[in-house]
Amino acid sequence: MLSRSAEGTARAQRLIVVSLIAIALGFLLVVQLRSQAAVARTLAAQDDTSVALLINDLNRANNQLIQQGAALSQQEAQLRQALTAGGSDAQAIQKELTTLREVNGEVPVHGPGLQIQIQGTIMDFELQDALNNLRNAGAEAVAVNGQRIISSTPVQSRGNSLLINGNAVSSPLSLLVIGDPEQLGPAADLSASSLQTRVQVQIQRQTDLAITEVVTPRPLIYAQLGK
Amino acid sequence: MTVLASVSLATFLVTSLAATQFRSQPLPPSNRLARDEALRKSVNQLEDQNRVLKAHVQGLQADVKAGEDESARRSSAVQQVKALLDDQKVIAGLIALHGAGLTILLHDGTDPNDPADRSLGWTIHYQDLQDIVNVLWASGAEAIAINGQRIVPNTAFHYAGVNILVNNASRLSGPYTVTALGDPSSLAGGLGNPDQLAELKSRSRIYRLGFSWLRSPHLSLPAFDATFLVKYAQPLG
Repeated sequence: MLSRSAEGTARAQRLIVVSLIAIALGFLLVVQLRSQAAVARTLAAQDDTSVALLINDLNRANNQLIQQGAALSQQEAQLRQALTAGGSDAQAIQKELTTLREVNGEVPVHGPGLQIQIQGTIMDFELQDALNNLRNAGAEAVAVNGQRIISSTPVQSRGNSLLINGNAVSSPLSLLVIGDPEQLGPAADLSASSLQTRVQVQIQRQTDLAITEVVTPRPLIYAQLGK
Repeated sequence: MTVLASVSLATFLVTSLAATQFRSQPLPPSNRLARDEALRKSVNQLEDQNRVLKAHVQGLQADVKAGEDESARRSSAVQQVKALLDDQKVIAGLIALHGAGLTILLHDGTDPNDPADRSLGWTIHYQDLQDIVNVLWASGAEAIAINGQRIVPNTAFHYAGVNILVNNASRLSGPYTVTALGDPSSLAGGLGNPDQLAELKSRSRIYRLGFSWLRSPHLSLPAFDATFLVKYAQPLG
């Protein structure tokens, strides 16, 4: 009896020990998995490059918005001054009209910028990427081989040809870009570095270049004014 | 003997796990977390500032418009210039629009978790948005917005790390909704053309990345939430 009882006690002890160890193992395993997940989350949140780039872009955008605010305040003051004096000032409105015509690509323009020559065949997405980079660097007016380009100008490949707004353009491509050469330069270099493995790219700074081509606005047929 | 063996094995396992656990503990998190926190705080502050500045610009735009309307009422010459200005505002995306068109829905697919596939093909990239917008313009779109951000003449798509930015650092995050006004059949025909967006369509099949569109007789597009500055380009002549 005694020996059977001792055997039972030993079995119970064994069970307790194994259970305790199992609990400890389970606990450690859970902690282990959780800590790995936490490390992964921290790394994701710690994508310093993303955050640094975002901070840089936000700073740039906020400076732009401050400048926009200053320009609008000035315009408002000019309008208000004329109204207070009993008249009306067409000049402030004319100035805004000119700005929007430039933005919409509807008037010939000139100014400092870059001339970019691309010798060789490139695909539609490569030109789109280059144009996108230049716009991101503050390009104010762009033309490619006699075609004025704004963001709504479609660029497509058709076989080996490039179609800009449905018009075929062929190599060499000549991009005229008006804007701050200091900002445009790095953007053009970035595009050139990815293209230069296959085609020749030349970038020249210009103190004054002219873009005489204009965009014909698309008529609104389906879109109506208002929300 | 059996108990001893179990205990030894278990102790060994516990010790090794404890050791692994100890080694996998991140370095004292103070520096990392503090840096992380500081960066996040900066982003939050700058995004708050961005919102305030946009609201300020919009307020000033309303004031300027009121001044312009009043000026036009007083002079027929100003009225003529104002009519031209209003047309240009519509073209530039400064006026909200509505009408028939297409809504395109996009979302990330499933991460294959395959070490051999590091293409990130399962996520939506800014180039995908750029390509879709390009096809929509080519298919006769009259106006486009993405997640409520109007595409305007100088809109550029941009990566800031994992973020897609447009228009004065407005952060776009998935799922993405592209809204285009125009002939719904023509717009759907452009997107459905097998020669267009072939790579995106292939990724959609492989990674179950969402890419679909719906025709609608009535869609609304907001106006651009800022204005334009031209500093370098001057009119010729």
